[in-house]
Amino acid sequence: MKNSIKVERAKINITQAQLALLAQVSRQTINAIELGKYNPSTILALKMAKVFNARVEDIFQLEEADWNS
Amino acid sequence: MKTKYLIPNRFRKIGWLLFLPGLLLGLWYLLGQSAPAFFDAKVFAVAGQPFLGKTVRFSFIENNLLDELAGLLIILGALMIAFSKEKTEDEFITRIRMESLVWATYVNYFILLLAIVFIYDMIFLWVLVFNMFTILFFFMVRYHWVLYKTKKQLRDEE
Repeated sequence: MKNSIKVERAKINITQAQLALLAQVSRQTINAIELGKYNPSTILALKMAKVFNARVEDIFQLEEADWNS
Repeated sequence: MKTKYLIPNRFRKIGWLLFLPGLLLGLWYLLGQSAPAFFDAKVFAVAGQPFLGKTVRFSFIENNLLDELAGLLIILGALMIAFSKEKTEDEFITRIRMESLVWATYVNYFILLLAIVFIYDMIFLWVLVFNMFTILFFFMVRYHWVLYKTKKQLRDEE
């Protein structure tokens, strides 16, 4: 799964730490998601979308590889 | 995050306050030091058998409580350290916790399998003694190591 969190963060000019606070998770979690090391739950994905005032699909996109796992 | 089976963060500190004295008492016992007489007590035994003695059931016996105390402190302390929530307990941390528990179970039983095959008689008794604590110990080490690495990664990026 690809994500555009870094871009979205830049758009509204917030740090990982601020995003963590807004989405009610730890900074490690935001960092791991941004690096593609962890796939968030639906609830967390929706919360993050809310923070960015975007749709989940704008932030997270399926990749071809996701169908082969 | 709502979590099942985890205890509040403040128990982490209490856990260390129980675990460390327990560890010291346990080491003292392992080194074969004489147990202080004030640990001698009459205790109720559901079952017991003194060395080369007769089995007793449901009766009061004399016992030195040093090893019992060490065991209780170590296990209670380790449980509190292992299963108290992080300040921000979230789904990623829960996953690290779960993976560490699976990892620790594998490692613990892998070592026990080796011990069953290669260690015999009275020495094996010591394997069993250690095995009471090792699963929690392996979990604590692995879980905190992975957490530390994720935190370090944060610092490195700053």
